[in-house]
Amino acid sequence: MSASHHDPLSHPEVQLASGRGYVANFLVTTLLMGFGLWLSVTHAVAPLTLVAVTSGIAAVAVGVQAYLLLHMNLSEAQIWHTVAMILFLPLFVVTIGLTAWMFHGLYARTMIMSPHIGAFLHR
Amino acid sequence: MSVMSRSENARSLGLWDRDHEGHDVIGTRTFGFWLYMLTDAMVYAALFATFGVLSHVVNLAGGPSPAAVVHPVYAYGETVALFVSVLAYGGAMVALKAGNKAALIGALGAAMVAGGVFLGLAYSDIERLFHAGIVPQASGYLSIFFGLILYHALHILVGMVWMLVMIVQVMTRGFTSNVVYRLINLRLFWHFQAVIWVFVFTFVYLQGTVL
Repeated sequence: MSASHHDPLSHPEVQLASGRGYVANFLVTTLLMGFGLWLSVTHAVAPLTLVAVTSGIAAVAVGVQAYLLLHMNLSEAQIWHTVAMILFLPLFVVTIGLTAWMFHGLYARTMIMSPHIGAFLHR
Repeated sequence: MSVMSRSENARSLGLWDRDHEGHDVIGTRTFGFWLYMLTDAMVYAALFATFGVLSHVVNLAGGPSPAAVVHPVYAYGETVALFVSVLAYGGAMVALKAGNKAALIGALGAAMVAGGVFLGLAYSDIERLFHAGIVPQASGYLSIFFGLILYHALHILVGMVWMLVMIVQVMTRGFTSNVVYRLINLRLFWHFQAVIWVFVFTFVYLQGTVL
């Protein structure tokens, strides 16, 4: 990449910018989050369904952002960014998932749940 | 192989010699900063894990439930402001690609303003809660709620200060390698905040309405 040494603007990290991609990302993620908002304020679906659907919406939105904003792809200039992200994901999921699983078990075994709380949790 | 010849070898590969033709200043520094952003994301992982634990009903300590605290319509206003700011920064990157200094500075200014709108909305939401007696020390849930949104707001503030610094550097130094890699690092930083905000909006605000 000797050219980049002389002209920083010719570097692949600069050249990957895409106005069309950024606009598409803005429209798609804003609409997805708006749909999630509509679901939660209208109480259109049951609470557990809301949790499942909004989690799915978030996953799609983050996927779109990863591709269009963060340029996660397999091109020569970006592949190591993508590899680092993919190796990072299990750490992120395991950190949150194991903590949630561990405390879920702990609460079930140690916390005194009133009938009200029990009904609240299982509605 | 002697130490001298090994260092000569490394030098010939362009690894340590900044002035070597093959040394990719922009590529190595932006990748290093990307790894730092993933480290920052692990701090968010810890915060989200804590949020998952402390938003459980046993941690309300007699305080308000998440449904009584979160205001998803208000938070959607913050979402749009942040996404507009991210779009404006994308515009700054398109201007950088075209070598258009005036458009780059204008887009950075627009991204800063939209970031300011996000912070203003976040501030008035927090003020509303504080006036209602909903404060971090009231319960475990409220501690992590405020901790999480303030940690994110702090990132937005840092990003806005960084944008101001970059506007000055672009005006005074032009598109040197150092200025360009800093602009790209700020892109990674700023666009990553939008990704994190999708998680905050979904898990704290949208799903908070049914907790």
